[in-house]
Amino acid sequence: MEGHSITKVVLLACGSFNPITNMHMRMFELARDHLEDTGQYKVVRGIISPVGDAYKKKGLIEACHRLEMTRLATESSDWVMVDSWESLQPEWVETAKVVRHHYEELLASEQNIDDVDTIKYAKKRRIEENHHKDRDDLQLMLLCGADVLESFGIPNMWKQEDIAEIVGRHGLVCITRSNSDPHKFIHQSDLLWKYRKNIHIVREWVTNDISATHVRRSLRRGQSVRYLLPDSVIHYIKEHGLYSSESEQKNADVVLAPLQRYTEYNTEHHH
Amino acid sequence: MAARRVPLVLLACGSFNPITNQHMRLFELARDHMHSTGQYQVVGGIVSPVSDSYGKQGLVLAKHRVAMAELALQSSNWVTVDEWESQQPDWTETVVTMRYHYRRILKEYERSVGMHNNSNLSPQLKLLCGADFLDTFKIPGLWRDDHVEELVGHFGLVCVSRGELQPERAVHESDLLSYRRHNIFHVREWVKNETSATEVRRALRRGLSVKYLLPDSVIEYIHRHNLYTEDSEMRNKSAVLRPLVKQAQEPVKSLDD
Repeated sequence: MEGHSITKVVLLACGSFNPITNMHMRMFELARDHLEDTGQYKVVRGIISPVGDAYKKKGLIEACHRLEMTRLATESSDWVMVDSWESLQPEWVETAKVVRHHYEELLASEQNIDDVDTIKYAKKRRIEENHHKDRDDLQLMLLCGADVLESFGIPNMWKQEDIAEIVGRHGLVCITRSNSDPHKFIHQSDLLWKYRKNIHIVREWVTNDISATHVRRSLRRGQSVRYLLPDSVIHYIKEHGLYSSESEQKNADVVLAPLQRYTEYNTEHHH
Repeated sequence: MAARRVPLVLLACGSFNPITNQHMRLFELARDHMHSTGQYQVVGGIVSPVSDSYGKQGLVLAKHRVAMAELALQSSNWVTVDEWESQQPDWTETVVTMRYHYRRILKEYERSVGMHNNSNLSPQLKLLCGADFLDTFKIPGLWRDDHVEELVGHFGLVCVSRGELQPERAVHESDLLSYRRHNIFHVREWVKNETSATEVRRALRRGLSVKYLLPDSVIEYIHRHNLYTEDSEMRNKSAVLRPLVKQAQEPVKSLDD
């Protein structure tokens, strides 16, 4: 019999999902297979959290559409779901905050299950009830592509303490292609290297490069995107006339929210 | 006044072992491309799975491969699967399959359009393939020269590649193909997608997920019939591909098939 216990994992993917594609959905499948293959984890849930409109990325269409398309895409999945919390916030929310929010929610819901389950540990639980302590047997991990990992290096894109919180307290599952070298990137960052045990690199041997950018481009040009995203999502896009040359120009002159915020922050704090 | 477009049907031959989203993408890309030339109107697509006697390693029974293609194409309003080739007693040369379908298409077309309508352009059938297909012409014994000429010269190819220049190189390096280059249409797939049926089978053998690489209905079918195991991959392991055997035996025949 095995002596070690299995850690339950919830995977959280943040991003524009503008629109969601089969590649996004594949990431979850690859991550789950990888983690469970180690024998140490059981992936119990996947959460897709589309970014809010305040992110101000060029070509980002309204959150309500992105949410609905994601919901349609996850319909056929029995473990991946969409969450609207982030997109409903009035300001852009740092990824670390989104992770924190979902982790707290996770702990709270697990707590309730425990309370119902075990009566003899009731006393211990009452003490822990108000503190939502971190648990060893339950982890929330941020699921992302290599580009997000490498974005840690872009000035003013991330706060160092946020990176530390995500990789230190939680975990990162990074799906990479054969042409990128995440291990080197981790090696070159003291912060990432310190928490390398919490960073899981999943090699995608079979490149599946369906970028949302490409999908939007094809749609603008009236080209088929069938089999790159679920039919129900394509149908929704056609029905609502999303993704045109106009929609691609949205936010063209605007600065991306994190860059705006951190540049201001750094300017204030350097005076 | 808009120029008249040639009605065009695209035929894809192959193992389809199993059919994947990538296969179905080929049709979509080809259709968009041929439309954009202004000369063609794509009116149909045919998936023709090869027969079991092809002898390729890991090939599961044709009845399964046809059933899976049917499931995958249920939601398509222009591509269908045809089992004629898979039901022939022996492996059928691609050109023979093309002739069969062309005769069928022509007959249907004449019936629907009317015998005396000369102003309409006659339909054409072209072979839809991936970039690697052009390289197979180089393999000794796999193709008869007269078949290649008929395939490329008479029918024509629509060749979908993944952003590399390889297919143009293959054409350049072959006198035969080069001579017929006006009848070889190159379609670029900018989305790098290496999802192949081989990779799908590999993932299935290892109990890994293939969701979003092929339709859910096909995945269900595969699990229900327990296709694609280590055993199924060993099938035909030591066999020689049927075309190599058949064409080595035949003296050069006329085109009376």
